[in-house]
Amino acid sequence: MQAYNLTEDERDVLQELMNVAYGNATAVVADMLDAFASLSIPNISVITTNELLSTFAELKNESYFFATQSFNGEFSGESAFFIDQESAGNLAKHLELENEADLDDAILELTNVLTSSLTTKLSQEMDTEVSFSLPSLSKVSIESIKETPTFQQYSQVIVIDTDLNFQDQKIHGKIFILTKDESIQWLKIKLNSILELLI
Amino acid sequence: MIYLVVDDSKLARLSLVKALKTNIGNAEIFQATNGLEALQTMKNKSPDIVFLDLTMPEMDGYEALPKLLTINPKAKIVVVSADVQTKAKEKVIALGAQLHIQKPINADKIKEILELI
Repeated sequence: MQAYNLTEDERDVLQELMNVAYGNATAVVADMLDAFASLSIPNISVITTNELLSTFAELKNESYFFATQSFNGEFSGESAFFIDQESAGNLAKHLELENEADLDDAILELTNVLTSSLTTKLSQEMDTEVSFSLPSLSKVSIESIKETPTFQQYSQVIVIDTDLNFQDQKIHGKIFILTKDESIQWLKIKLNSILELLI
Repeated sequence: MIYLVVDDSKLARLSLVKALKTNIGNAEIFQATNGLEALQTMKNKSPDIVFLDLTMPEMDGYEALPKLLTINPKAKIVVVSADVQTKAKEKVIALGAQLHIQKPINADKIKEILELI
């Protein structure tokens, strides 16, 4: 397996593109929830799936709602959104949802809006287009997370780790974009061409 | 006219400086990578116009904005941010910013901004 690393400049460009994309996506979700989110600086890294999975062991809550949405194009992969049970409960309270089916539906819609806005804007900035599959939702424990199909498909991933943080509503989530080797190669070329235009 | 571009991202700073130079030629443009550096540059160079990002390490734009205006109340602060939530815009205007502009920025957008302020 060939290892890919991002240079400092590549990481900076991707972080800034992600920042813009995430800002747009968050505004859409904030309108949807009638809430205000505090934005954090996305943390960008290229790591193996095993390394990513080991970071989940540090998570404080035992079970999570885990929603994913795959995207295809020159840049392809899968967006993953994690929301812990407590935050999901607060989301249900905030939206005045009455049962578990409504909560599942709300998380799926939130994921759909968040990840498709995020990936669409990111793709636009990189002058490419992507198509989306329907998002899927599962409830997973930290112990069983490595068995989810998403993580079995990727050996090495670009992890764009950022928080969805609605402090007043106590709703916190994590977003990851997982990509395959071909997309990492494509992305490196694209990031360098963006930077070269400015120097 | 002296300009200050404050952003932790090299890409964002390069884009803004390039867009500025397209409009104003060889003006004096300083750069800072966070709020703390911006305060130092404000003390030392007294820029007239500051382009300020919000999400930065060390000191973010929300914290830096009123402090920059305390050092130089005449400075014009333009917030350039990816945070396009209405409440974020309202907050920075209440803190004293002249404008809140959505990233990414280009030469045409800078031209409009410079005409507005």
